[in-house]
Order: sequence, then C-alpha cells, then structure tokens
Amino acid sequence: MSAELLLEARSLRIEAPGRTLVHDASFGVRAGELVALVGHSGSGKSVTARALLGLLPFFPGRVAGEVWVDGQPCKTEADFARVRGARVALVPQDGRGGLDPLWRVGRTIREAARLAGVDEDPLPWLEAAGFSTPGPVATCFPHELSGGMAQRAAIAAALARKSAVLIADECTSGLDVSVQRTVLQRLRKLADDGGGVLLITHDLRLLPGFADRIVVMDEGRTVEEAPRLEALVGAGRVLVEATRQIAGGRW
Amino acid sequence: MSRRLGFAVLGLLLVLRLLSALSGYDPVADLTPELRSAGPSASHWLGTDHLGRDVARRLLHGTAAFVEPGLLAALLTVGIGLAAGVLSGARGGVSGAAAAWLMGVVAAIPGLVLVLLGLSIYGGSADAAAGSSQIWWIAGFCGVICAPALSGAVTARLQALIRAEFVVAARAHGISPARILFYHLLWVNTRGLVLRHALRAFTQMVVLETTLSYLGGFGVPEPTPSWGNMLAFELGVVEGNPWAWLAPALAIWLGVVGIYGLSEATGEANVG
Repeated sequence: MSAELLLEARSLRIEAPGRTLVHDASFGVRAGELVALVGHSGSGKSVTARALLGLLPFFPGRVAGEVWVDGQPCKTEADFARVRGARVALVPQDGRGGLDPLWRVGRTIREAARLAGVDEDPLPWLEAAGFSTPGPVATCFPHELSGGMAQRAAIAAALARKSAVLIADECTSGLDVSVQRTVLQRLRKLADDGGGVLLITHDLRLLPGFADRIVVMDEGRTVEEAPRLEALVGAGRVLVEATRQIAGGRW
Repeated sequence: MSRRLGFAVLGLLLVLRLLSALSGYDPVADLTPELRSAGPSASHWLGTDHLGRDVARRLLHGTAAFVEPGLLAALLTVGIGLAAGVLSGARGGVSGAAAAWLMGVVAAIPGLVLVLLGLSIYGGSADAAAGSSQIWWIAGFCGVICAPALSGAVTARLQALIRAEFVVAARAHGISPARILFYHLLWVNTRGLVLRHALRAFTQMVVLETTLSYLGGFGVPEPTPSWGNMLAFELGVVEGNPWAWLAPALAIWLGVVGIYGLSEATGEANVG
C-alpha cells in the first residue's frame, strides 16, 4: 500500500513500575485505512493506544521505541502536544467517564469543534455518532445517559475534533448491534474520506466488512497482521476460534 | 429551601451593610441617658441599651464589624486554600508536600487559640482607635484558620479527578494541561466546593467576632457597635431592655444558620 502513513508504532515497549506491559508493538495506520488492533483483554491494546498519544495511565512509567505521526517522530512531550487532537484523537474505553461530568454533552462537543475550528453546533456530530434525535442528548449531563448513549456522545466529541487519525478504544462495547453497525459505518466513512482509524477491540465479530487490516496483539506483542480474519494463523487463529465458539459458530 | 433562605439572609446582610454605610453613625453621639433600657417605640424600634443608645441603629451599624472583614476572610481562605490545594493535589513534589504540611500544621492548632495568639502579638488592644485595625487582623487570622479545610478538599478533589477518563480524553483532544487544570478541574468541577468553603469562612468570621467580643478585649471595642459586643455588653444588665441582647443574639443566630445553610446547599449542583 502506498498511501501516506499517518500513525506508526515502531518497536514500542511500555514499562510500568515492576513490570513490562508491552514488549514489542509495531504497526501503522495509513490514510484511508481502518486498522483493527485485536487481542485478549490484558494483551496491551489500550495501554498502547495511550502511549501513541504520549498519555500513559500510570506514573512513573517508561516508553521505549518510537511513535511516528505524519512521518515525523514524536519524542518529547512537546511533540505529542503538537499532534494530540490536531492529528490524532482518542475515543476512550469508558464513554461516560470520557465526558466532563459537570458539562452538558453538547458543551463537550462544542469545545472539541472549537478546537478543530469547525462549526460548533453539536447536533450534526451527535447524528454522525448514531443519534436520530440528537437535540435532547446535547442538553443531558453524562450521568443522565445510558452507557451506550454516553459512548456515542464520546464518539461524537472525537469526531468533532476532526483529527486525521481516530483511535477508538473498545468504542462499540456496550452498544446494541444496530448501533454498533452505525458507529462502525461512521468510522469506515472516516477512513473512506481519507482519514485513518485504529479500532481497538476484542470482539472480532465486528470486523468483517469494516477493517482493512487486522493486527493481533498477544501478551504485549504484535504477533500477526492480516487483511482478513480468515488469513490469520497462530495467535490470531486461536482468537478467531475462541470468538467463534463463544458466538456459537454463527459468524 | 436552605439555599433560598441562605441567599435571602446573605442579601439582607449586604443590604443592611450598605444602608449603614450610607446613613453614617457616630457611636459616641448616640447617647440618650434619660432613655436608658427603654423598650421598643416608634422612635427606637428595638428600644435602647442601658446607656440609652438606639439598639436598632447599633444593630444596623454592627454589620460593619463582619461584612467587609468576612469578605476578606473568605478571600484569604480561597487564596491560601486553593493555592495549597492545587500545589498538593495537582503539582505534588516538594512544593506540594510542603503546602500540605503547612496546612496540616495550621489545622493542628485549635483555631481560637491561633487567633488569640496572633492577636496578642499583632493586636489585642481594647483601645477604640486600635480596634478598627484589630478587626482586620481577626479577619486575616480567620482566613488562615479556614484555609486548611478548603486546601484538603481541593487536594482530594483534584487527586480524584486528575487521572479521570475525561481528563485523558481532554488531553487527547489537545486541550492544554493548564486549561484542563484551571478551567475543567478547578472552575467547572471545583468552584462549588470553593464557594462552600468561602461562605463557611464568612460565617466563621461572624462567629469569631462574636466570640472574641464576648470574651472581651479582643473583639470590636466599645463604643463601636458589633453584634458580639452588643450581646456581651447587655447580657449582664439587670432589668435592662431584653431586646438589647435578644436582637443581636437573634441576628447572629439567623446570620450564621442562614449562611452556613447556604454553604451546605452550595457545591455539587450541575453547572454546565
């Protein structure tokens, strides 16, 4: 693939006090591509997502290896501060927790849109995140929304930020199937419009028809990369079979 | 209900203080010896005290003893408590530990003892001329003794919020750490807490002035009126006008209960 590499992890190693969380993670996200980073819970996916933004959830910690954004290495906090939001945004795993608890949802989205320099009306972004009647949602506080609604509101805020790459960390967990599909279609559209999407998930059933490439993480290492689930072997195949069994062979 | 009552009381106190500032009052000239301990009448709504001074007017002008000093105390509490809370809750390190330690030292000494100790060094004169500056010293010490509670509350709030998912999301959106700290964490998520402690400091100033006046020698000296010295001055008088001590006592009670109730009702309401 010749498209521009928007985000890249090169031999990423993440250490927390007393243990290594990620040993070696290497992958990239190109313009126009939706890459799925899959793996069991605890395989290091979310912590890798945070490290790609220079945001570790613990202190002290250490990140070795390299993060490249738009072909430029991010080595210092200033480098990460330059690309955060402007080039790479994150939809956190906990949608409700990802919204300011004392701000109405519309206000959080407006702030993201203001930073992006686009129309601050939150309603189109809520619609894009799958709300058919976004008006009432915009005036709610996060605690007034269900888990799935809050998750979509967090997605709307990330969409409003208009970053080149969106890292979606388990953003479809807690959503019903039809809404999952709406959200994935929106992420797919983001990629089709020339952006990059890194979709972190442990639910492989979501991927067919949406992901361009699947990167498998296992015990803190990226161990496989394939264009389709069927092409996975080794740890990826184990993951596929386990998911197939849980789903009762229905996919 | 307590919120409405509190706002009403606070508003009333501020209006009374404004009226007293506009009307002017000479506590020495207000002396009618032939009307000692008179009961309420059309010319003296709450009667007179045992020196023949108008109780209602003194009650009105007694607000000067705590309104501006109370605001100063609240400002000091917010300034000191917020600075120490931010240092220990968000910055950490040596400066954070030093701020927390300093607040701990202040909190470890009983407030009244600290104020009396301070006044014995910097104030403590019952002289009327010195008394005008003494109330500001009391306000200063009041601000200091109320600061540790706010500092501890801000520290706890910041420590709980600083690693919250919405802070990570805000940083991921490219919002600067300074804006996250001062706007999202302090202004949006902590301002109610700060207002609550500021109101408590204001209430504490009323209580402190009353207590010190009652103890004698440390509060607002006679003949300048304060609710505390009005109460202390009249309580021991035999066959006096009961309104001369009942009125300031009720005013103190209503003021403290109202504003303290407001401080309790303030804080965690949604703001966005």
